Amino acid sequence: MRTLTAVVTVALLSASPALAVDLTFWHYWDGTNGQALQKLIDQYQKAHPGVNIKAEFVPGGELQTKLQTAITGHRTPSMAIADLTNMPALVRSGALVPLDPYMAKSKVNLGDYFQGPLVYGKYQGGQYSLPVSASNLALFYNKDLFRQAGLDPNKPPRTWEELEQVAKTIQAKTGKQGFELFTQGGEGTSWQWQVFLWGAGGDVLNKQNTAAAFNSPAGVKALQYWVDLVNKDKVSNVAPWGQFGRGDAAMVMDGSWMTQFFPEQIDFELGSAPFPSPKGMPPATNMGGEQVFIFKGDPATQQAAWDFINWFSSTPVQIQWDRMTGFMPVKKSVANAPSYRNWVKNTRPLLQPFVDSMAFAHPRPPVPEYAQLSDRLAQAIQEAVTGRAKPADALNRAAQDVNRLLK
Amino acid sequence: MRRLRWTTLLTHVVLLFGAFLAAMPFLWVITTSLKPNGALYQPPLLLPTHFEWENYRKAWEAAPFPRFFLNSAVMTVALTVLQTLLSAMAGYAFARLRFPGRNLLFFIVLGTLMIPFPVTLIPNFLTVNALGWVDTYQALIIPRAVSAFAIFLFRQFFLSIPKELEEAARIDGASPFTIFWRIVLPLSTPVLAASAIFSFLFAWNDFLWPLIVTNSTEMRTVQVGLATFQGQYGIFWTLLCAATVIVTLPALLAFLAAQRRFIEGITSTGLKE
Amino acid sequence: MHASRPLPLSRSPRRAREARSWPTALLFLLPAIVILGTFNVYPALYSLYLSFFEWNGFTPNRDWVGGGNYAQLVTSPEFWNSLKVTALYAGGVTLASLALGLLVAVLLNQPIRGRTFYRVLYFLPVITPTVAAGVVWKYLFDPTQGAVNNLLGSIGIHGPNWLVDPKWALLAVIIVGVWKRVGFNVVVYLAALQGVPRAYYEAAQIDGATPWQQLRYVTVPLLAPTTFFLVITSLIEAFQVFDLVYVMTAGGPLGATDVFGFYLYREGFKYSQLGFASAIAYVMFALIFLATVVQFRFTRGGQDA
Repeated sequence: MRTLTAVVTVALLSASPALAVDLTFWHYWDGTNGQALQKLIDQYQKAHPGVNIKAEFVPGGELQTKLQTAITGHRTPSMAIADLTNMPALVRSGALVPLDPYMAKSKVNLGDYFQGPLVYGKYQGGQYSLPVSASNLALFYNKDLFRQAGLDPNKPPRTWEELEQVAKTIQAKTGKQGFELFTQGGEGTSWQWQVFLWGAGGDVLNKQNTAAAFNSPAGVKALQYWVDLVNKDKVSNVAPWGQFGRGDAAMVMDGSWMTQFFPEQIDFELGSAPFPSPKGMPPATNMGGEQVFIFKGDPATQQAAWDFINWFSSTPVQIQWDRMTGFMPVKKSVANAPSYRNWVKNTRPLLQPFVDSMAFAHPRPPVPEYAQLSDRLAQAIQEAVTGRAKPADALNRAAQDVNRLLK
Repeated sequence: MRRLRWTTLLTHVVLLFGAFLAAMPFLWVITTSLKPNGALYQPPLLLPTHFEWENYRKAWEAAPFPRFFLNSAVMTVALTVLQTLLSAMAGYAFARLRFPGRNLLFFIVLGTLMIPFPVTLIPNFLTVNALGWVDTYQALIIPRAVSAFAIFLFRQFFLSIPKELEEAARIDGASPFTIFWRIVLPLSTPVLAASAIFSFLFAWNDFLWPLIVTNSTEMRTVQVGLATFQGQYGIFWTLLCAATVIVTLPALLAFLAAQRRFIEGITSTGLKE
Repeated sequence: MHASRPLPLSRSPRRAREARSWPTALLFLLPAIVILGTFNVYPALYSLYLSFFEWNGFTPNRDWVGGGNYAQLVTSPEFWNSLKVTALYAGGVTLASLALGLLVAVLLNQPIRGRTFYRVLYFLPVITPTVAAGVVWKYLFDPTQGAVNNLLGSIGIHGPNWLVDPKWALLAVIIVGVWKRVGFNVVVYLAALQGVPRAYYEAAQIDGATPWQQLRYVTVPLLAPTTFFLVITSLIEAFQVFDLVYVMTAGGPLGATDVFGFYLYREGFKYSQLGFASAIAYVMFALIFLATVVQFRFTRGGQDA
């Protein structure tokens, strides 16, 4: 009789979703972000006894290499995150599980997501990853230098024309650089410049992501603007990155994560604002962030991994997550939630412009060749800024190379 | 001896100038490790004026450093002993023994140094994986138990020590191994110490390989701990520098312990010709 | 004085005995053969095999392209630029760090005060994390606030915009490369200097040799095997240098510091072209190997002065 009870109990237990299952989760969230993740995992495990999630930290620069060796050696974790620019290579690897059936069963509303980042997980009609964090770019400015130059520290520039004007005024009055640009090439140059490109109404690639589109009139206009800042107005100089942090430049474009880093490093009053766009044009920004995905494994593990991701992506948990980490919301319901909006207003006011910019955030092209494309584009920008080529010529040559790359 | 004092003074001036250049970045690390929030870019940059010891506590608690230190210690001690001994043996064979194909084999050893590490990463991971060593100490130690670099160092050193003693022992009928163990190694303290220090540093500073062949936090090493402060989104400078000071200390102490051996030298062994 | 040349081996029956000494040699070499064979030679061959494929490291299938990667390499301007940059970097760092290393080692080999103190300080660059060194050197090379240009300014020279001017960036990186390497050379030279019998110097002094002549005719010839070792390892290291360039300039501006090690990283890890990166690795290998063979011939394996 007792054995029968035991058998029945076991049967009942296994029928409930709380199966004993071990999951591994690779991520690169360091510092407070890593601690926030662990807190949420502990919460989840309390509510789901039997599910044991081991979060393994891998330093950011090496996560992609680690995933590569894991995939090659067939020793993948249950789930992982990656920077969204690394997703195109991952979704094509054949090692990821398509999430569509899971999303259908759990009735996930994809319409609630900001649409931009979703493109990174799409491949051959399926959705292989979901955004779990976002970041974007906006303007940071040094209020002390604004005051020294006799400007209103609560009136940051709103248009390209104002940006130029403010930069000139500050430079004349204080002798400091007006606006720091990232001129050292690579992705740092490329992703800043894309904000100017989108602001001018252009785009990086065509709609189908099969050919370059940055050598359009809008692209030439955006690049000419940079060239003028450096060579005509002389308010930006070609110098190693870091002048703004040292207090040697009055304005800079940087990421939402710097609302966490700048206060630790600097000794002046900081302001932030949405990034200016040309007069009469809608604002634009670039977005970054991470996506989460599941590796092929046995069905029970895949299901358990999905259950966690589904919980992690739910609006209440995402509100907690964003408040703990300072990441931008990936869903509209989070961005509009009163509890989130009040938190930004009261405790992280510097973040407000970034949250407001999320609706104008463009994704970088979701192609596996993006890293090369970005380097080539940055080279064209450097050529123009240092006076080695005319903007139009530099962009046209880069476009030819990029088109060859995308073939 | 006026002239002599002059040269001594000049020597010190030259050495001090060079030493200052050499030490400068590390002075910056120490200074930064003691800075409070907001003072990162403020001078002085090379002399600590703030003393924010709290940074050290925070850095130490930001990652499971005790465990990382243990793993690094196991790996480093094992690699230092194995690399020094096994490489000295091979180096001796290349310097003193004669056998067919010696130069060819030596060139293969040298050649392995010339293959950039990154391209060996995937095949080596596959080997370690096939052996079932992922996440074990074996993976951290055995693949690097012999160092081509150290073999090369030992060979060059053994070439430069006089042969007479070995000849004498050989005539007395000692085996090559006895000669190596009893005569050559005791004569080689300077190079043994130099090689050990390089092995120590290689192991202690190793980052990518341990990261690739370990998956669990319990198997990670100190350099991975340091990497937690160089985040995806920015560098936590004060904590990184505090952790760097902590992690660099053992390497400095090892160097201090070994450097006396560089000077001990052959003079003390009674061989003066 | 036969200081510079070991006596040739007497041709004796011993040679016959040595020719049969494979078993003895094997005893000494077995661990090295097994471990280097498995974890160095095999991956090197695997990498050679991979250099005939196109593969991004993620997909299960690899496309055979034959010599395509090599053809693409030798027709790419980036490769030739990288070759030039690497040759300059390797040559500059090797020569300067050898000369300085020898100078410091000879100075520190004298019975002077504070020897240990100096040794530790000179060794610091070897253990200073590159990321920290990069920050400090970048600041020193800052065109307006950096100590380098302030120093030049004080003697009336208007210093260049070091790290952002393609004409000067490589020199700046070479300077940091030398800074990092000297301490290593000092340690090796110090160890080797112990092997120079004092009697040689005493004899030279009796003959009236100046300190410079002693260095030139006693020390340098006797250190030949060590110098050979340091030249080869320095070249190898310089050919593969990556992290220094990564933190200082990331290969820029406009490819001015795009050394092979960085080029390989970019193509292999950033662009995920493992086949192409393997081809780069093999061209690097061939170049260093050639340089080594030439030197080996030249110096009879570093036995000759």
